[in-house]
Amino acid sequence: METTDSSTASLSAQPLSPGQLFWRRLRKRKIAMFGGCLLAVLYASAILAGFIAPYDAVRQDRARFFHPPIWPEFKGLRLVVPRYESVSGDFAYKKVSGDTCPLHFLVSGAPYRLLGLIPLKIHLFGTGDDQYPVYLLGTDQFGRDIFSRLLYGSEISLSIGLVGIVISFSLGMLLGGISGYFGGTTDQFIMRWCELIMSVPTLYMVIALRNTFPAGISSAQVYGIIIIIYSFIRWAGMARVIRGMTLSLCEQPFVLAARGLGQSHLKIILRHVLPNTFSYVIVAATLSVPYYILGEVDLSYLGVGIQEPSASWGLMLNAAQNTEYLRDFPWLLAPGAAIFITVLAFNFLGDGLRDAADTKL
Amino acid sequence: MLKYLAKRLLHMIPLLIGVSMLTFLLMSLSPGDYFTALSQNPQISPETIAHLKAKYHLDQPWYVQYFYWLKNAAMGDLGYSMAYKIPATSLILGRLWNTFLLSFAALILAWAVAIPLGIRAAVARGSWVDHACAMVAFAGLSIPDILLALLALWFAAATGWFPVGGATSPVHDLMGPWGQCLDYLKHLVLPAVVLAAADLAGIMRQMRGNLLDTLRAEYVVAARARGMTPFWVVYKHALRNAINPLLTMFGYSLAGLLSGAFIVENIMAWPGLGRLTMEAFFQKDSYVVVDCVMMATILLVAGNFVADLLLAWSDPRIRLK
Amino acid sequence: MACVMPQTPNYNLHFMNLLEIKDLQLDFGRGSEAARALDGVSLTLKQGETVCLVGESGCGKSVTALSIAQLVPSPPAHYVGGQILLEGRNTLEMSPEELRRIRGGTVSYIFQDPGASLNPVFRVGNQIKESLKLHRPEKATDTEVIRLLKLVGIPAPESRLRNYPFEMSGGMQQRVMIAMALASEPRLLVADEPTTALDVTIQAQIMDLLRDLKQRLGMAILLITHNLGIVGEIADRVAVMYGGQVVELAATTDLLARPLHPYTRALMNSVPKLRSTATRLPTIPGNVPRIGQFPTGCRFSPRCPIARPECSSHPPSLLEVEPGHWVRCPFWQT
Ligand SMILES: Nc1ncnc2c1ncn2[C@@H]1O[C@H](COP(=O)(O)OP(=O)(O)O)[C@@H](O)[C@H]1O
Ligand code: SF4
Ligand SMILES: [Mg+2]
Repeated sequence: METTDSSTASLSAQPLSPGQLFWRRLRKRKIAMFGGCLLAVLYASAILAGFIAPYDAVRQDRARFFHPPIWPEFKGLRLVVPRYESVSGDFAYKKVSGDTCPLHFLVSGAPYRLLGLIPLKIHLFGTGDDQYPVYLLGTDQFGRDIFSRLLYGSEISLSIGLVGIVISFSLGMLLGGISGYFGGTTDQFIMRWCELIMSVPTLYMVIALRNTFPAGISSAQVYGIIIIIYSFIRWAGMARVIRGMTLSLCEQPFVLAARGLGQSHLKIILRHVLPNTFSYVIVAATLSVPYYILGEVDLSYLGVGIQEPSASWGLMLNAAQNTEYLRDFPWLLAPGAAIFITVLAFNFLGDGLRDAADTKL
Repeated sequence: MLKYLAKRLLHMIPLLIGVSMLTFLLMSLSPGDYFTALSQNPQISPETIAHLKAKYHLDQPWYVQYFYWLKNAAMGDLGYSMAYKIPATSLILGRLWNTFLLSFAALILAWAVAIPLGIRAAVARGSWVDHACAMVAFAGLSIPDILLALLALWFAAATGWFPVGGATSPVHDLMGPWGQCLDYLKHLVLPAVVLAAADLAGIMRQMRGNLLDTLRAEYVVAARARGMTPFWVVYKHALRNAINPLLTMFGYSLAGLLSGAFIVENIMAWPGLGRLTMEAFFQKDSYVVVDCVMMATILLVAGNFVADLLLAWSDPRIRLK
Repeated sequence: MACVMPQTPNYNLHFMNLLEIKDLQLDFGRGSEAARALDGVSLTLKQGETVCLVGESGCGKSVTALSIAQLVPSPPAHYVGGQILLEGRNTLEMSPEELRRIRGGTVSYIFQDPGASLNPVFRVGNQIKESLKLHRPEKATDTEVIRLLKLVGIPAPESRLRNYPFEMSGGMQQRVMIAMALASEPRLLVADEPTTALDVTIQAQIMDLLRDLKQRLGMAILLITHNLGIVGEIADRVAVMYGGQVVELAATTDLLARPLHPYTRALMNSVPKLRSTATRLPTIPGNVPRIGQFPTGCRFSPRCPIARPECSSHPPSLLEVEPGHWVRCPFWQT
């Protein structure tokens, strides 16, 4: 009785569009909403990095290498920053009781460019006095503020995933669509390429590709190179899935009709085939962003990615590879926590999206 | 069945040739080589360098180099390591073995933990065990390998329970055969645990999903309708079917594992292919980089083949077709 | 042919109903999400009797059938009221251990899609033997499996033992399912649309087999079917379900000759030729409301051609209007 099903559906009170249904189901998943909110906060702080960071990414405090975190405290109703003084020995510091400086909000400090455009000097918070620095997450081996570097690093980490996804997914969708739509030799050729790329474990392939670029290049260039390398690798998996979907979509009446009307191949692929893969693509994209973030981290950690003195999460973690540092200055692991939280947020959101979109992934 | 396996096996050959050609091409595109640095050294005459280059065909275009390499590789000679000044074959094989052992240990560990947990979570769906597993899975999927490895290093340093770095201790050669074995294992434990922990979450989730799918299958209802105990329904009827999709995605998880091993080797100083790749990369020891990439690919492809064998063994629909 | 059914020593059983479902009520979900899927289903089966359960898809036939051995997944299902007496004992109150014994013991099931009901990775011989081990462990031998396969008309059973389900046709698979169901010598065979997934010619063969087995083994059959043509050929009595309720229950000849409930009449009217085997249960004008969305009164009233104003507020009860003929409609005479 196939007819009864559809007719009961039409009987139900208010018909919802697929998008509304999707949104409704997504909102029910607390954990996905939590992930989404977390990401919103993270991206907002990456965009406002210069404003939120009390210092710039390269400022060195030569009197305070490996300084432990300095947190503002309450003194009466005011927030104050305590002063630490160095104790003889290896990077040991002691709080000087009673000696504090008030913490100010919207304080003037090092110049920066908001969004890389607007020159500003105003910072969210700070003391304005170098004798009373506020290092929320301590300093690294060069006496640089880890909290500020984390924020500047997030500009790289958080954007690299989005740019990478856009490139590799466009490539994967287009080639996958072409492969499934035309079939034959084209299909064979593209699929063999996918197989080739996918049969090399990712990092080995990454290093082989990285080798084709010079070693000592600027961080901006490396940023581009990382995106190129990972896009070159990751389009393959996408193309394979999209090809499979295209194969089944090509049997659908609306595609056959479009062909019958003599629309151009490219137009059919772009207009009729690929839009039907979007719910899968959105979910896959959300779950793939972490690969790019981790890709930058891996390469920078290995010393072939972003270079000093730029700030990047992978590069910052590199400082923690010394076991003694690790034991004595555990705050060096802060970028690890940042990566973890970011990836977790993407996984929370992606998982909820997958459930709500009901795609098998 | 045999035909199927033969087909899979034959399929690997063009794949490996393709990969080796691609890596060779990439190597040749690389700016500078080992001799660029060497020629800066005033003590080495340009003639010596030219002589060395000619000896290893490095003065030829890449495809000529490739053919020499392929010819020799087919006979088990993987070229010469400029940096280590020894034949690449002996260098690589030891490292390959270490990487294999690390990955294999991690694989066994990960599956041994993930599968029972996945089963528990599926059977006790919605219980606190299930929720706890889900949270652990989220954490496991999100924690970067690097952070995990660094934490392990920190743990080793703090407790002193595990040696860090290398596959053997300095006094390894003075030990008896059992002592040597034990020494090796001691060095292996921590990297393997880190690698397994990073891999575990995905397998566990997959296992849980598969088992839930099969528990909904009609043959499971039919088995219950025949009066079978819940235990046998899960462990005979559902589980046997839930394993198959896991084997299908084995290749995917193996690729992740080998990539993870690359990072773990480099952080924890485990002398495997990944570490060698980076050493060779920095020294522009091109043949060794190519060899490492090839060996890693062979590990992956061979692993996939084994997974195919297991799948055929486990699923009669594939075996008999 | 020797009778496989053991002669029951307790002749009281002959006077007792084998199965008695009394006013069964079942909800899916709890609290505000609860939806009443079965609302007062009553049905009896005597030893050796064949009863057909007919009704539109989604009316609760499968849920009723699965309830007998408590096979409805719970949660979400839970029973709100009623009894299911199987050989005089309420299965709703049985311990898991007892339930396990009656499943495939007293009552065996065969389902709609034999391809999906057989485990794809085990050989059919193994799966049949498994049933034997569960209920007649002393008979768990190849010989017995071969005898069962012969019984359900599988040619060359010896060579079939080691086959996997996917190596058999749909009809053969269903025969294997039947063999498995018969392994425990059940008193009641529940067949939930056993032929829906099969080709027409195979459908007839399987129905012939069931009819034949019923005569030879003397077990009771509860047959769920979409096919009204089959009803006349095999059933002693027919129960018509609508919206989680039995709306009419009568001897087959009675019901076919004189359907009393408006819903049954509508069903019959929309069957072009009663005896044609290919006919599926037809649609009648109007839609089946979703469970949980029925009117308070007669559940059929929105679609009933003779509905009266009071119908939508007063739920009718199942009444015996003639000996053995039950109808859930006070206006059956019009
Ligand atoms: N597991 C379940 N969860 C929720 N609702 C169910 C479930 N199984 C069946 N139902 C509902 O119970 C009603 C009766 O189903 P069923 O007995 O399978 O119908 P049929 O008469 O076609 O066999 C249907 O409306 C169906 O939506
Ligand atoms: S009770 Fe009323 S609505 Fe229901 S079947 Fe009878 S006449 Fe129709
Ligand atoms: Mg049904």
